[in-house]
Amino acid sequence: MRHAPGDALMTIGSTIWERLGQAGPAVAEACGEADLLVGIPVANHGKNVGRVVERAAAGLAQHVALGKTVVLVVAGGPHDGALELLPHPAPAPAPAIRLVHLATASRGMALLAILAAAARPGLRALALADAGLESLSPEGLSRLLGPILAGDAAYVSPAYSHAASEGTLTTNLLAPLLRALYGHRLTQVVGGCAALSGQLLQRFLAVANADPELAERAAEVWLPTEAVTSGSAVAEAAQGRKRLDPGLSPPDLATTLVQVVGPFFTLMERYRAIWFDVQGSREVPLAGERPAFLPPVSGVKVERMVHAFRLGLKDLLPLWEEIVPDETLGQLYPLGVLAPDEFVFPPRLWAQTVYAFAVAHHDRRLPREHLLRALTPLYLGRTAAFLLEAQAAPPERMAELPEQIGRAFEAEKDVLRARWR
Amino acid sequence: MPEGWTDILTETLREAGQRLAIVAPRILAMLALIVLALVAASLARRLTVRLLRLARFDTGAARWGLGGALGRLGVREPPAVLAGQLVYWSLVLIGLLLGLEALEMPAANELIGLALWLLPNLLVAGIVLLAGWLLANFLSQAALIAAVNAQVAGAPLIAFAVRWLVLVFAGGAALTQLGIAREMVLLAFGIAFGGTVLALAMAFGLGAKELAREILESRLRKRDEDRDPVSHV
Repeated sequence: MRHAPGDALMTIGSTIWERLGQAGPAVAEACGEADLLVGIPVANHGKNVGRVVERAAAGLAQHVALGKTVVLVVAGGPHDGALELLPHPAPAPAPAIRLVHLATASRGMALLAILAAAARPGLRALALADAGLESLSPEGLSRLLGPILAGDAAYVSPAYSHAASEGTLTTNLLAPLLRALYGHRLTQVVGGCAALSGQLLQRFLAVANADPELAERAAEVWLPTEAVTSGSAVAEAAQGRKRLDPGLSPPDLATTLVQVVGPFFTLMERYRAIWFDVQGSREVPLAGERPAFLPPVSGVKVERMVHAFRLGLKDLLPLWEEIVPDETLGQLYPLGVLAPDEFVFPPRLWAQTVYAFAVAHHDRRLPREHLLRALTPLYLGRTAAFLLEAQAAPPERMAELPEQIGRAFEAEKDVLRARWR
Repeated sequence: MPEGWTDILTETLREAGQRLAIVAPRILAMLALIVLALVAASLARRLTVRLLRLARFDTGAARWGLGGALGRLGVREPPAVLAGQLVYWSLVLIGLLLGLEALEMPAANELIGLALWLLPNLLVAGIVLLAGWLLANFLSQAALIAAVNAQVAGAPLIAFAVRWLVLVFAGGAALTQLGIAREMVLLAFGIAFGGTVLALAMAFGLGAKELAREILESRLRKRDEDRDPVSHV
């Protein structure tokens, strides 16, 4: 049955539907009357999507008794032809596999198309998975959907076992900042997959409708933020080790900071009334076994990171002076003379620095992209210190390291409150 | 004596009175125009400052580096107040020129003609310079950050070169707009710009071999970075 975005759907995300244009009805039709949906947005990396689709379909197959199941692949922009090799779906009641092409070359728009098409009253749960998430398993997908289907959570975030040298931006900035701001101890913020309830999805689209550009650019950051600020129940689902398609070339570090930290800071403005009053933080329920936090993999060299920090301290100081308060800057100077193998960047100083950048981003003291790129040497300095700490820590104390960073961000939150105008 | 001194005195006073009768209204008109211009300028200044503050002009100017640069020049007033002063003095100047025109003096007319030709060109040249200066700040900051992130040792030098290339270009465009020795400016600008680029290229290749090597090395290191076991997100 053709499912046109003309009735109830138009009330939510109407601006997004306008942006989708002619592709909107096609995506809505492909989504059909799905009760359970797995959405896979693709842009320029369709090579291994077949494997991800196969595992997503296998995961959904465990829930066919609950209603109609669909795996929806939405491709934004050109691809290398691998999308035509998607696995053939098994006959019903096995999950249907559908593919829609968007004219827009944008992964963000592909993701928004999935969200907009899925936001209909009958949907029970939506899971999202990156086309490059090679580690997605049928069991992992099922664990993501489990708490939503049981009514225990409205948003389920992945929790990966990982080495200290993996996901360092998440461990050192995204997760502790989310924890201190909104009071939820999520281990992963942008994790390559997630599941959400139909209700939360509708709420997200209603809010995102007011700012479709940000929604398109940063839906993956906005979704968990919306979940933790909405008061909805949030949970985590163990996913094992994260493995991405090795053929993918991630953007350079400075661009990653612009793409991930930038929206996070922007959302701090939107949700100021919420985070300002949040005190402390709490654990979120976990489906599956607690993920392990392992020592850094071998071959990690911190010398180059420390060198980047020193170079930043020497050449970017005039810019940092406009961003970071004098007392924080005064604590950063001595770090520039430390030997690479003795390098330290205490978590509380790092938290103060991140908060200073968040405030400067809010005050627009520099062009925002410049400001976020100017954070790169500081982040590399903090990463170097963190990896040295992790290398020296006994295995039984490894789990304490992210906890220390989270506590430091919580402890310094008053500084943020005082400076935020 | 056909005319006595009293007749001469009377005649002189009569002529002076006639001249005054002709000039006085013009002087009054000039004064009225100047007073009107002062009042209008004062109101326009207040309105400008208020509107710019509503539009958070000072914050924007700070973001673009204008506030910091003015501070370094010893200017303490906020940019919105400075813009208000600019509007004020522009209107006062226009009032003075109109007042002079009311006198209908040949010298005043020539002065006004010159001012009327010069003012729009000065305004355009000023806008070109300001835009060039803002662009120079933005691009040099972007170049500095990009070079530091690429771990290039001479990042401030690169930022300095970018800044001055844009400023020289903007200066040349502004002088051309003013029509000041147009051909000479174009020629001088061409020589200076081309010479700077050539000098930089030679300095980079010969004098700054180390820097060139570092940039190439850092590009190669970037490939290594892709294989770096550290993943960030």
